[in-house]
Amino acid sequence: MNQNRIYLKISAALILFSVFIFSACKKYDTAFVQSPDERINTAISKYQSALTGSAAGWNATIRTQNGGIYHFHFRFNDSNRVKMFSDFNLETASTARESSYRLKALQTPALLFDTYSYLHLLSDPDGDVNGGDNGVGLASDFEFSLDSLAADSILLTGRVHGTKLTLIKATQQDFDTWQNGRWANTLAFENINKIQNYFRRLTINGVNYEVRINSVTRMLTFTWIDANGNTRQFTTSYYYSATGVVFVTPFNTGTQTINGLEVVSWDAGNSILNVKVNGVAATIAGATKPLRVDLSAPQRWWQTAANSSGYWISFDGFHVNGVDDAFGLKTIPNYYFVVYWPNYDPGSNDLFAPVFINAAGNGLELLYGAAPRAQFTTDGRAVFTNLGFYGPYPTTGPAQQSLNQLLLPQGYYFVQTGPGSYDMVSSTDAKAWLSMELVQ
Amino acid sequence: MRLKIFLVLLFGSISFFSCKKEDPLTVDDISGLGGDTWARTALDKWLYDTLVVPYNIATKYKWDQSELELNKSIVPPKEEKVIPVMRSVKKVWMEPYILQGGELFFKKYSPKLFVLAGSASWNMDGSITLGTAEGGRKIVLYQLNDFKNKTMAGYVPADSAILKQMFHVIHHEFGHILDQNIRRPVAFDEITKGFYTADWINTDDYSARQDGFITAYALSSPFEDFVEMISIMLIEGKPGFDNIVNSITGTSIRGTTEDQAKAKLRQKESIVINYFKQAWNIDFYTLQLRVRNAIVNEIY
Repeated sequence: MNQNRIYLKISAALILFSVFIFSACKKYDTAFVQSPDERINTAISKYQSALTGSAAGWNATIRTQNGGIYHFHFRFNDSNRVKMFSDFNLETASTARESSYRLKALQTPALLFDTYSYLHLLSDPDGDVNGGDNGVGLASDFEFSLDSLAADSILLTGRVHGTKLTLIKATQQDFDTWQNGRWANTLAFENINKIQNYFRRLTINGVNYEVRINSVTRMLTFTWIDANGNTRQFTTSYYYSATGVVFVTPFNTGTQTINGLEVVSWDAGNSILNVKVNGVAATIAGATKPLRVDLSAPQRWWQTAANSSGYWISFDGFHVNGVDDAFGLKTIPNYYFVVYWPNYDPGSNDLFAPVFINAAGNGLELLYGAAPRAQFTTDGRAVFTNLGFYGPYPTTGPAQQSLNQLLLPQGYYFVQTGPGSYDMVSSTDAKAWLSMELVQ
Repeated sequence: MRLKIFLVLLFGSISFFSCKKEDPLTVDDISGLGGDTWARTALDKWLYDTLVVPYNIATKYKWDQSELELNKSIVPPKEEKVIPVMRSVKKVWMEPYILQGGELFFKKYSPKLFVLAGSASWNMDGSITLGTAEGGRKIVLYQLNDFKNKTMAGYVPADSAILKQMFHVIHHEFGHILDQNIRRPVAFDEITKGFYTADWINTDDYSARQDGFITAYALSSPFEDFVEMISIMLIEGKPGFDNIVNSITGTSIRGTTEDQAKAKLRQKESIVINYFKQAWNIDFYTLQLRVRNAIVNEIY
C-alpha cells in the first residue's frame, strides 16, 4: 500500500516534469540576427552591385570539367543584360554578344546566364557546336553558385558540372585588348588547322618540331629528333592569352624552356603561321613528309588486323585538300563506313569497300568491293595495287573515287595515333589521308 | 483530493510555459516569391502583347532548370530565335484553330505554358527529343537554336524536319486536350485492338503503317494513336496523308494485309473527322487545309 503511494507520487512528478519540458518554450538562440530571407536578399544585392559596379567589366576564366581553360570578358548592366567576348573561337573573340543574366536564390545565391551566350557554346549538348560528345558537350556550366565576393574578385562554382569560374575586375586596358582585336589575333593560332598538309612543322633556330594540335581538347604535341638522333615527344594542354598560346606544362627543349607561343600573324596566302618563341621569330607551316618516317608502321598496321582476323574502318572516308569525306561517301544512301580488310582472302588479297546498313536496318551488308594487295617499301610506305573485284564495283561516284585514291601509285606513310588506330597519309603531298580504327 | 491538486498543477504548468504564438502577418521578403523578375525587353513585350494578353499563354524562354529534365544537358535558346518560333506556332497552330473553332474555344482549351530550349534533349540511346508536353498545360519545344524557316537566311529544305517535328508535337498535345475533354468514340479503339504494344520503340513508321498505324508511336496505346492521327493528318495535309496510306505495300509481320492496313487507316481517318464535327463542331478538312497551308508557307 505504502509502496503504491510512492509509485503514484513518482509518476505524478514525472508527468508534471514532462509536461513542463514539452510545454516549455524553446528560446531561439539564433546564430544570425537576420532571417535567412533577409540574408539572401542582402547577399544578392551585394553581388548585383559588385557585378554592375565594374565599369570595364570582368575578366573571367572558366575551367571546364574536362580541364579546358577558356577566357571571357563580361560587362553586366543593372537591367539583366550582359555583353561578352570569349576566346572560344575567332568570331567570339572579335564580336561582342549581348544576352541576359539573373541573380537568383537557388538554395545559395546563384548567377544564371539565362539565354544563349558564348558561355553556352561550351555547354551545348550538340557535339557539332563545340567538338564535345553529343549529350554533354564540353561538360561546362552556365548556372553558378556564388561562393565568395572580395573587393575585386568573385569565385563561382557551376551547379551541374562543378565548373570553376573566376571573375577578376577588369581594367580599361583589359577591355581594350578584346575591343581592339588582340584576342582575335591570338585565335588566329587555330588557323593551323587550315594548313592542308597532314604534317605541320614548327621551326625554331633551325630545329624542326612536328606539331599536332587538337583544338577541341586544346592539346599540343611536339615531336622532334634530339642531338643523339632519338625521336622525342612532348605533349601539353594549352590555353589562350591576349598575346598568344600558353602551355600548361612548359616545354623544355633541352636548349631552352618554352612557356608558350606569341602569335604574330596568319599568312593565308602561304598557309604559314608566324609566331615568336621567347622573342625569336618562328613559323608553323605544312610539311609533305613526317620528320622521321615510321618505317615499320605500314607492316604493323597490316599485320595487327591480319593477326586478329580484324579489319580497319573509317567512317569519314578520305580527307583530301582540307575537305573531310572529300569524295562524298556519306552521300551514298545507307552508307555506314569504309573498310580495309587485310588478308580478306588469306594469302591472296585484301578487301576495300564501303559498307552499308541493310534494308531492315538491323545489320550491315557488303554490296561490292575491290580486292587490293598492299606492298611495303623499304622507305616506310605502303603501295596498293588492285587485283580484281567482288560484285559490280561502281565505275563512277564516291566509291570509285575512293578506290582511285587508295591506289595512288606513290603510296602512303602510316602514323600510329593510338593502340588501335592509324592514319595513312599520301606520300606525294600529305594532303590526303584516311583515319582508321581497328575492329576485331 | 490529491488528483485535484495534481490537475491544478498540470493546468498551471501548461498555461505558464506555453508559447506565445507569433503574429502570422509578419512575413519576410522571400526571394523569388511570386516568380522571377527581370528588366523587361522588347522581346518580353512582344510575347506579352501577342500571347499573354489575347490568349493567356505564357512563354518561358529564360533558363529554368526545373521546367526541364534535371539529368540532361540542355541549353537555353538564343533570344533572336524566340519570336520567329512563336510566330510560326501562332500561324500553324493557333490561327487555324481560332478560325475554325472560335476564339472562346481556343482560349478555353489551349495549353497555357510554352517552355523553350535552345538545344535538343539527348537520350541515352543517342536519339534526341524535340518536344514534350505535360498534362495539357505545358509544352516544351527544343532545338530552337537550329530553327530556320524559309524567310531566314541559309534555309535549306532539310531544316523543315525540325519545324515539322515541332508542329507535330504541338498538334499532338492539343489533340490530347481535346480527347480528354470530350472522349474519342469507342469505335476508334476497336479498329486495331490487340495490336497496341509497349514495344513500339523497336518499330519503325513503315512497319507500323503496314499494321494500320500512322506512326510507330501510335502503336503505344489507343489515345496516342488517336492524337497521332490528328497530328499527322493536320501537318501533312490531305494529299500528304493520302500518300502515306497509298505507300503501304505488302503484308506485315503480324499478318495484316496491305488492303486491311489501308482500310484501318481510312476508318480511323473518318472517325477523326466525325469526332471533330460532332464534338467540337469543327470542319476537319478546312482545318487541315489551313494548317497545311500555314506549314507550306513556313517551309516551301
